[in-house]
Amino acid sequence: MTGAQLLIDLLAKHGVQEVFGYPGGAIMPIYDALYGAPVKHYLTRHEQGAGFAAVGYARSTGKLGVCFATSGPGATNLVTSLADAMMDSVPLLAITGQVPTAAIGSDAFQEVDVLGMSLSCTKHSYMVERAEDLAEILQEAMHLALSGRPGPVLVDIPKDIQLAQAPFKPWLAREESFPELLSCEVQTAEVLLSEAQRPVAYVGGGVQSADAQAELMQFLNKTQMPAVSTLKALGSVLPEYEYDLGMLGMHGGQAANIAVQECDLLVCIGARFDDRVTGNLAKFAAKAKVIHLDIDPAEVGKRKPAAASLITDLKTSIPALACFVTNAQWLNTVMELKTAHAWRYDYPGEKVFAPYLLKELSRKMPRDSVVCCDVGQHQMWVAQHMKFTHPSNHLSSGGAGTMGFGLPAAIGAQIARPQNMVVTVSGDGSIMMNIQELATIRRNNLPVKIVILDNQRLGMVRQWQQLFFEGRYSETNLSDNPDFVQLAAVFGIPGQTITHANEVDDAIDELVNSTGPYIIHACIDDKENVWPLVPPGAANDEMMTEKAQ
Amino acid sequence: MRHQLTVAIKNQSIAVERFLRVARHRGFHLTQLELEGHDDLFHVKMTVDSDKPIYLLTTQLSKLVEVQQVDLHTLQQQAI
Repeated sequence: MTGAQLLIDLLAKHGVQEVFGYPGGAIMPIYDALYGAPVKHYLTRHEQGAGFAAVGYARSTGKLGVCFATSGPGATNLVTSLADAMMDSVPLLAITGQVPTAAIGSDAFQEVDVLGMSLSCTKHSYMVERAEDLAEILQEAMHLALSGRPGPVLVDIPKDIQLAQAPFKPWLAREESFPELLSCEVQTAEVLLSEAQRPVAYVGGGVQSADAQAELMQFLNKTQMPAVSTLKALGSVLPEYEYDLGMLGMHGGQAANIAVQECDLLVCIGARFDDRVTGNLAKFAAKAKVIHLDIDPAEVGKRKPAAASLITDLKTSIPALACFVTNAQWLNTVMELKTAHAWRYDYPGEKVFAPYLLKELSRKMPRDSVVCCDVGQHQMWVAQHMKFTHPSNHLSSGGAGTMGFGLPAAIGAQIARPQNMVVTVSGDGSIMMNIQELATIRRNNLPVKIVILDNQRLGMVRQWQQLFFEGRYSETNLSDNPDFVQLAAVFGIPGQTITHANEVDDAIDELVNSTGPYIIHACIDDKENVWPLVPPGAANDEMMTEKAQ
Repeated sequence: MRHQLTVAIKNQSIAVERFLRVARHRGFHLTQLELEGHDDLFHVKMTVDSDKPIYLLTTQLSKLVEVQQVDLHTLQQQAI
C-alpha cells in the first residue's frame, strides 16, 4: 500500500466519509488514491472554500472535518481556515501535499515551508519524513484534532512519501483522560454559589465542544440562573429558557450586558473572556467573583482571575456545581431588564428592515435548520434576532471574524446534514469573498439557501467610520456591486431581489419552500446600523443605542 | 520580572521553533537560551522577561504536544 492509499484507507477506517479539497501537483498521488475510493471528495473552487467547508462540516456535526490542498499556494490558501478553526476550537484535519523530500529547501516549484507556516494557526502539525511514520502520525493527528480542546491539525506529506510503500501500524490511541476536579475548588465554588445574590451564567463555545448542552440546561433549569451567551455559544441555552438573556458583549443585548455588569457571581462555562465580550476588561463584571469551568487550564485566569476553577470536561464539571436556586428578587430585576430592553421591530421606513427579515426567517425555518454567517453587520443581526436550538445550528466565525466564511461553511454543513435546511446569511461585502463556491453548490445540487443583506457598503466598517472616524468613509462604498440575482442565475440558482418591507414575508416563504438552492437579495437601508454598540474602551453598560444617536 | 524555565521537549527542531514562537507571541522576551540533547529529548533552559504573570506562559507551553515538562524557577529582580 502506498502512503497515499494508506491515508485514504485510514480516513475511511476512522469513519471519515466526506472530505473537501482541491488537487495540484504535489498531492496528485493522494487524488489518484481517492479515485473510486469509499471516501467521497467534494471539489471546491478555492482551497479556502475547502477549508471552510470542512469547518462547516465539523461545526454542524461535532465530527472531524477534513480538507486537502497541494503544496505552496494550495497550502497558503488553507491558512485562513486553519486560523479560523484554531480561534473557534474546531476539529479539523488538513492534509497538504509537499514537494518531494529531496527538493525541500531548494526553493522548488510550489514549495513553501508549510510546517513553519502552520505553527501559529494549528493545534499541532507534522511534516512526514519517513513513510513508516505515516500511519502513526495520521492516527495521532485525528486523535489530537478531536480530543481535549479541539482544534486544527495539519499533516504535510511530501510527494515521494505519498508514492512510497507505507506500512499500516495500528496506533494505540491514548484514552481521552481529563484532569480530575479538585475537591477544594468544587467546595469553593459551592460556597460562592450559596452566597451569591445576583449570579449569572456566562456560556461559551466550550458547551458545544463538550457536547454538554443537556448538562447546561439541567443546571440552568435547577438553579434558574440568568444566562448570557457568547456569539459561539448561541443555541446552547434553549430559546424557551425563561432567563435566557441572549448574547452579551459589543453588540449584545442591553439586558445581557447590564445583568453581567450588576452580577455578584459570574459562572463562566467554557468561555474565554474575549475582548469583544468584555469591552473594557477592568470594568467588566467588576462586582463579580468568577467561577471558571473549562477544559483548557490556559484559559483560566488568562484575562480575568477566577475565585474557583473547575478544570475538566464540562460534562463532568457542570453537574459538579451545587444547585442553589437563584433568589426571586434578582430574577425579577432580570425579567424587568429583559422586558425593558426587548428587541423592537416597528421600523418606520418602507425599506427592508434586516432585523425583522431575520426574525421572520428564524420563525419560518424548520426548527433544526442551520444558519451560517459571514462577518459584519448582518452577522450581528443574526446573533441578535434569530433563535437557535443547538450551537451546531449557528455557524459564525467568532474568534477570527473571517469574511467569506459563510458560503463554504454552508456547503460543508449541507453535505454533513442533508436532512436539514441550511441557510447562509451574508452581506454584499462578505459574499464576494468566496463567491466562486456557487459553482460547488451547483455542481453538487446542494439546496443551500442564501440571503444577502445588501446595503452597498462594508457596513460594519462604515458604521465605525461614521461613529469614530468623523464620517470619513474610506473604501467602504460598494455601490458598484454586481446584480446578485443575475450572478446566481449564471450558476443556475434561482432567486429574487426585494427592496420594500412589504415584500419580505413572501420572499421568505418562497425561500423556505424551495426544494433546491435559492437566493434572496435584500436591499436594505445603507444607513442602518447595528445597535446597541459598546464603543472602544467603554464598559459594557456604557452602550451606544439608536435612540441616543 | 525575569523567570527561568527548564523545559523538556522532543528533540526535534520544530519542537524548539514551536515553543519559542509561543513565548514570543505571548509577550515573553527571551534573554537567555541553552539547549542540550539527551536521548529523545532536548533540555532547554531559558530566561524570559515580561510584565505578565509567568503562568500565562507556562500554561501555554504545557499544552504543546512535544513538551514533556515545564519547570519554573523565578529569579530575583536585579536591584537598579
